[in-house]
Amino acid sequence: MGDRPDAPPSNRRRKLLGSLAAGATLGTAGCMRRLRAATGWESVSPVSVGIKTLPADADPYALRVAQSVAGWFRAAGLEVSVTPVAPEELYRQVLIRNDFDAFVGRIPARLRDGDGLYPLLHSRFGSEPGWQNPFGYANLDVDDRLVEQRTATGEARREALAAVQRSVARTQPFSLVAFPDEIRAVRDGRFDGWHGIDFESPLGYLSLDEGSREASRATATATATAPSDDPATLRAVITDRRPTENLNPLAAEFRWTGVLTGLLYDSLGYEAETGGVEPWLADTWEFETVDGRPRARVRLRDGLTWHDGEPLTAADVALTYALLSDVTLGRTTAGTDTATEDDAAVAAPRFRGRSSLVADAEALDSRTVEIRFTECTAGVAARALTVPVLPDHVWRERASPASVGGVDFGATSEALVTNNVPPVGSGPFAFERNVPGDRLVLERFDDHFLAADPPADLPADVDGLPPFERVDVTVVGTDETAVSMVASGDADVTGTAVGAGTIPRIGRSEGVDLVVGRSPSPYVVGYNARRPPLTNPRFRNTLGHLVDQRALVDDVFDGYGWPAASPLAGTDLVPPDLRFEDEHPVTPFFGSNGAVDVDAARDAFREAGYEYDDGALVERD
Amino acid sequence: MGLATVLAQVAAGVVALHLLGLVAVVGRDGLAGAPGRVRANLRAVAPTLGLLVVVLAVNGVVRDVGVELSWLIGVNITGAIHALEGGFVAWVQSLATPPLTTYFSAVYVFGYAFLLTFPVVAYLACRSDRPVRTLLVAYAVNYALGLVCYVLFVSYGPRNVTPEAVDSLLYAHWPQAQLLTGRVNRNTNVFPSLHTSLSVTVALVAYRYREVYPRWTPVAAALAGSIAVSTMYLGIHWATDVVAGAALAAVAVAVGLRVTAPAGESADPVDGADPADGATGRWTDRVADWIRE
Repeated sequence: MGDRPDAPPSNRRRKLLGSLAAGATLGTAGCMRRLRAATGWESVSPVSVGIKTLPADADPYALRVAQSVAGWFRAAGLEVSVTPVAPEELYRQVLIRNDFDAFVGRIPARLRDGDGLYPLLHSRFGSEPGWQNPFGYANLDVDDRLVEQRTATGEARREALAAVQRSVARTQPFSLVAFPDEIRAVRDGRFDGWHGIDFESPLGYLSLDEGSREASRATATATATAPSDDPATLRAVITDRRPTENLNPLAAEFRWTGVLTGLLYDSLGYEAETGGVEPWLADTWEFETVDGRPRARVRLRDGLTWHDGEPLTAADVALTYALLSDVTLGRTTAGTDTATEDDAAVAAPRFRGRSSLVADAEALDSRTVEIRFTECTAGVAARALTVPVLPDHVWRERASPASVGGVDFGATSEALVTNNVPPVGSGPFAFERNVPGDRLVLERFDDHFLAADPPADLPADVDGLPPFERVDVTVVGTDETAVSMVASGDADVTGTAVGAGTIPRIGRSEGVDLVVGRSPSPYVVGYNARRPPLTNPRFRNTLGHLVDQRALVDDVFDGYGWPAASPLAGTDLVPPDLRFEDEHPVTPFFGSNGAVDVDAARDAFREAGYEYDDGALVERD
Repeated sequence: MGLATVLAQVAAGVVALHLLGLVAVVGRDGLAGAPGRVRANLRAVAPTLGLLVVVLAVNGVVRDVGVELSWLIGVNITGAIHALEGGFVAWVQSLATPPLTTYFSAVYVFGYAFLLTFPVVAYLACRSDRPVRTLLVAYAVNYALGLVCYVLFVSYGPRNVTPEAVDSLLYAHWPQAQLLTGRVNRNTNVFPSLHTSLSVTVALVAYRYREVYPRWTPVAAALAGSIAVSTMYLGIHWATDVVAGAALAAVAVAVGLRVTAPAGESADPVDGADPADGATGRWTDRVADWIRE
């Protein structure tokens, strides 16, 4: 590297300092002027990127991905630090305070439908907290195409989404790492139907069947812990403390898949495996188009109740949509009479893509709600029906200002900061008790509509309440412990996915099955495009070239993952030119087999307008 | 449940070690007339025991709050420690063999529980109440200062920072152990190592009162050394945590000795057996005086 023609700035600085020390030319004012002019040009500083990620206990892969990526960035001359941060705190820093340069984590969005990209990347969400555009990404072309795909159909919609994916692959608001395989250990015999269910949806658990008797008796004799072997209890062991501490479906820093809050709270409909949305809490709905915008009349099932016995009515549904679009229910804008009063509304940080589809919702009678949508197609609009429905009589008062010890934290409301324990939902399971950080117990809700006369044609093969009466969730600290709990008969399923490193242990354990399914939530290196030099798409593009997805999948994921070039990979919405064949089609790795080609990386950064000083990447202040 | 099983295993193991210890360390002569001495000593140390119980109770309550508080006001020093010592723990682990893993796992869980509880029992049975009081005060100081550090510093252990180089050998070897250690420790509380500080505390007190049970001193020293190494070998602590833990132990024992010194000899410089050196001694004098007032 020593034979580069351009003298590093530090050498020039040294010479200058040397001449100053000699005191040879300091005598004149003209010289001072020249010195000031010259030093203005000398001001460079090293480019540093801090990567925040989850500790190994909380996530089997994230930290190792971050370490590998940090190594590649360092090889290219960046100053990189990797900081493990506890999950709740990481998501608070990344999603709510935007206090990060880069993070390694997973995008939780369920992206089967391309509209999932809308909240993730539209610049209008750049300043909102939560999983909507945490990157602060702004690209007018992407914005336009995201809006277009909401109103277009057929080939035009596919083309709009393909354009979005191509722009994202080039400008890298995040570098995709891989879609992981979700690995789980399940106990044989007690319950059936583990294979092929969707563990990231409450419907997956609701569609479990009773296990065959012989098998469950065999399990009972094989373990000495008879009382906890009660067949009426589904015992899940998880490595994430958060669901035992907070059950607020709106809290972005506490929710991951929302399976447990999904058991507690129903939605009007559920996304079906085949695409489209199927009725759940709703009996039926009818869409019509008024002034070019969809409008839906949703009829609720008869005799719905909340867990506290109050009836569930259309007013609850209307309140839910009002609260999702403004958690203060207009408090922050009350009294102001300006044209921009809506700007002050604070939207709930989850379900934002879906709540942004809804213009307003109105209860027509106790069982009918009319939902008016913004400009979009009925197919896209139906996604808005999958948000959890909240009880008016509990949540309306939570629109008041959030306060801690009497001090108001103005902008937000109690709805976002409450831990919502105990929760009042309408779902098939009701809260029984919790020990924060340790345990959560849910009990079957026998007044649920699934109990009496379960309707036919429910999504995901659900045909009534499941065979268990209780869901008992225990928290442990590591994947190994979670798997050993299932192996020893103390748990039925690892409720959170475990790392590939535990597969041998699962394989060795008798009566334990390995379930592997592909997750729709990819690992990414997310960049904060609000901070220089990450503001620069060319800089991010070069970083994208420094992530060797193949090496990560082989070394970190032990092959249990899939590299991809688009967050929609796995759907039929990916254009052929964005398929990940042997390498990333847009930002292929600079180097091979996990070794960076340093010269190629330096050339790319110089091309992007950066310089090197003694091997360190520097930028002008 | 899994936790109950682990607890029962550890309790059974520790009780067995206690019986062995009573026979081998205290001996038949030492046990003669022991019940009477235990009663007398218990009365004498009741206030100190109360202090320890209070500190432990506060510790138990504040630790959860402390973790939250720590994320608010604490400094995340994980990266600094990693930069300071680099791959030392990974090097320690490169020497791993299955028998060593079994040994260090057992020492970390069983040996530690035994090392902390046995001297309390043994010293209660001896003639003077000073050893047991010293020990209990030192325990309380360990927990109190440890808690302060845990609030001020956020730090993850090596298995959570460099998982590609450092295995969490304990949990891979014996996953259920995590049910127990997870109760006792949060994974952000690694600086300093309380396993090390409390073990070294026992060893230092054992050395200071080596005339009481001569056979206990080498056992305590060997166990304390093994436990300090095990925290690194198992990938739970950094070497930095271990060094800081040993320093904390020195402070705690110095305070313990000062607080329990008979009134007449309080201002005397510490004798040769005392672990604290000059600087620590002067500083701890003031702490001890303050505690005594």
